[in-house]
Amino acid sequence: MTVTPAVIEEEEPTKKGLSFKFPPEETEMGLIAGIIGAVIVIFTGLPAVIKGVGLLLVLLWGMDSVRKTSKYGLGTGVPSIGVLGTGYGVVGALMGLAVAEYGRVGQLYPAVLVGVIVMGAIGLVSGIFANGEKFIAMKIPRLERAMMELGMAGTLAILLECSILTGSLSFAAVVNNVMNTGLIALLFIFNCFAMLHPYNACLGPDERRERTRMCAVEISGLICVLLGLAMIGLGTSPYGILDGVSMIVFGAIVWVVYFRMFIKACMDECYETVGTGIIKTLE
Amino acid sequence: MPIEVVLLFAWMLVIAFLAFIACTFEDLESDMGSQSNPNSQVQLAAQVGQVNRFFNKAISGEPLSNAMYCVTAGTIAWLLLRQFEPLVPGEEWKAAVLAIPIGVLAATMINMIFSATSHCGRTAAQKRFQQPIYLDVLYGHLVPIGAHAFMTTFCITCIAYIQSNIGTLSGNPALNHPFALPLLGFIWGITVGAIGSSTGDVHYGAEREFQDRPFGEGKRVVYHGKITRYAECGVRTQKDIAGFCLKFGAPCTGMTFGLIILFESWRSMVGMQLGGFLPALPAFTATGDMAAIFGIVLGLLIVAALMVGNLVFVKWVRKKYGPFVGV
Repeated sequence: MTVTPAVIEEEEPTKKGLSFKFPPEETEMGLIAGIIGAVIVIFTGLPAVIKGVGLLLVLLWGMDSVRKTSKYGLGTGVPSIGVLGTGYGVVGALMGLAVAEYGRVGQLYPAVLVGVIVMGAIGLVSGIFANGEKFIAMKIPRLERAMMELGMAGTLAILLECSILTGSLSFAAVVNNVMNTGLIALLFIFNCFAMLHPYNACLGPDERRERTRMCAVEISGLICVLLGLAMIGLGTSPYGILDGVSMIVFGAIVWVVYFRMFIKACMDECYETVGTGIIKTLE
Repeated sequence: MPIEVVLLFAWMLVIAFLAFIACTFEDLESDMGSQSNPNSQVQLAAQVGQVNRFFNKAISGEPLSNAMYCVTAGTIAWLLLRQFEPLVPGEEWKAAVLAIPIGVLAATMINMIFSATSHCGRTAAQKRFQQPIYLDVLYGHLVPIGAHAFMTTFCITCIAYIQSNIGTLSGNPALNHPFALPLLGFIWGITVGAIGSSTGDVHYGAEREFQDRPFGEGKRVVYHGKITRYAECGVRTQKDIAGFCLKFGAPCTGMTFGLIILFESWRSMVGMQLGGFLPALPAFTATGDMAAIFGIVLGLLIVAALMVGNLVFVKWVRKKYGPFVGV
């Protein structure tokens, strides 16, 4: 499945506290994050922290899809893939919100998943176009699936963030609280960075999936802090100010734990960590 | 001329000046962390055996990363403004004096977090090329990066604030920008990053790396990593590069961005003035079309003048310094 890093993974003895193997496989990750994310998106009445957990899983999935798409050797193009995923996400979220009112039961919005499915289909089609012999014929392994997952993860992430900020998924509430206030810019750019930055920051021949994912979780923690601040500012949550505060605390804990873990993993796994030193002289 | 119009032009000049400062520091920040300027060289250097003491700040491209800092600063400043402004009715600027620096500080922290993760991550991913993580490089560059980013983000957030309140500041609230502060920060962040990324990269290329070659061309790619190794005295780090770029590259970048903002705002303002659109906005009638037409004609004139000036300048340079060998 994986080509070079798989060998490295086995060589590396998993040091205590540095392995982060939940869930181990890309397919399992996609299934778990997709199902949990979709369920949390539908139930908009949940407290923000639970939506934050869903967001974390979905962004981890999105990062995995970016990694899958760019793993064949894309260098400077990695950020573009993350932005592409978020672009899919914004379009899909708008589509889902437009049909959200159909089949609504109280605080349940099952129809928003139409946007997720349509974006998955669009991603699949664009992947087929990019890979197909008759069209662009890029022949990147497993590009179709990666593009499909990218669209779905991006859409779920934007929908979850809208649901965190507004407490519902009705089109008018989202337009008033997210679009008109300009917070959509915050959602867009941080979604991009949660998906593109981990793989972009860990790019190189000795990249390891577990380490990259620690970075993704760390950025999701930062997003939770910012969303908590925005929630307190907007004051839209049905649970009052406590919802925003709990979101900030949750995000801060996640950030501290995973930032430490990531930096420690990097310092342990790199060639050498030295206080200072002169560069190696070339012969 | 009515005082509102004079004030509008004055604020436009303030915005152009802030844009100049912002883009100067943006270029220096990218030099300090090798984000765009010698980033591909830093990335490749270890792979061709040139182990270096450079900071590898790979936070995507400059437009996106600057958009991120400016959006963060704009969002937090906007949230604080919403809380503070009702406390000081009639003197809203007091709220801005407090809110903007706090927002920018938060953005700077986020910048430093992302810088640290990208440096450590990329160096750890180059294990097989024997590139170590030098802790003094990591700690010693984070604060300069944060300081330069603070200046950029601060100026951009100020521009966004002035723009979203320009009508109130000059006495006619109808002229306020329709976009909210975070969205303006996003647009300006993308712009400042794009200009900083494309202009003023004097560090690698003709000006420094290949000074012994005419017009700096013609060396094999494998030698490009050498740019990361030794400075005029001792081992090179990015603090040397920022000092070098400050002399010419960074002010050049700042001037590019400042001039773009100045010409762009000036032509639209003059167009609005000539079209009878200022100081009070009339309903959208034929006057609006006239304002747009005047603005576009002025813009075309500016572009033509710049093109002619550029042509004359390049001709003069070619005559003075000989033909370009690379052609």
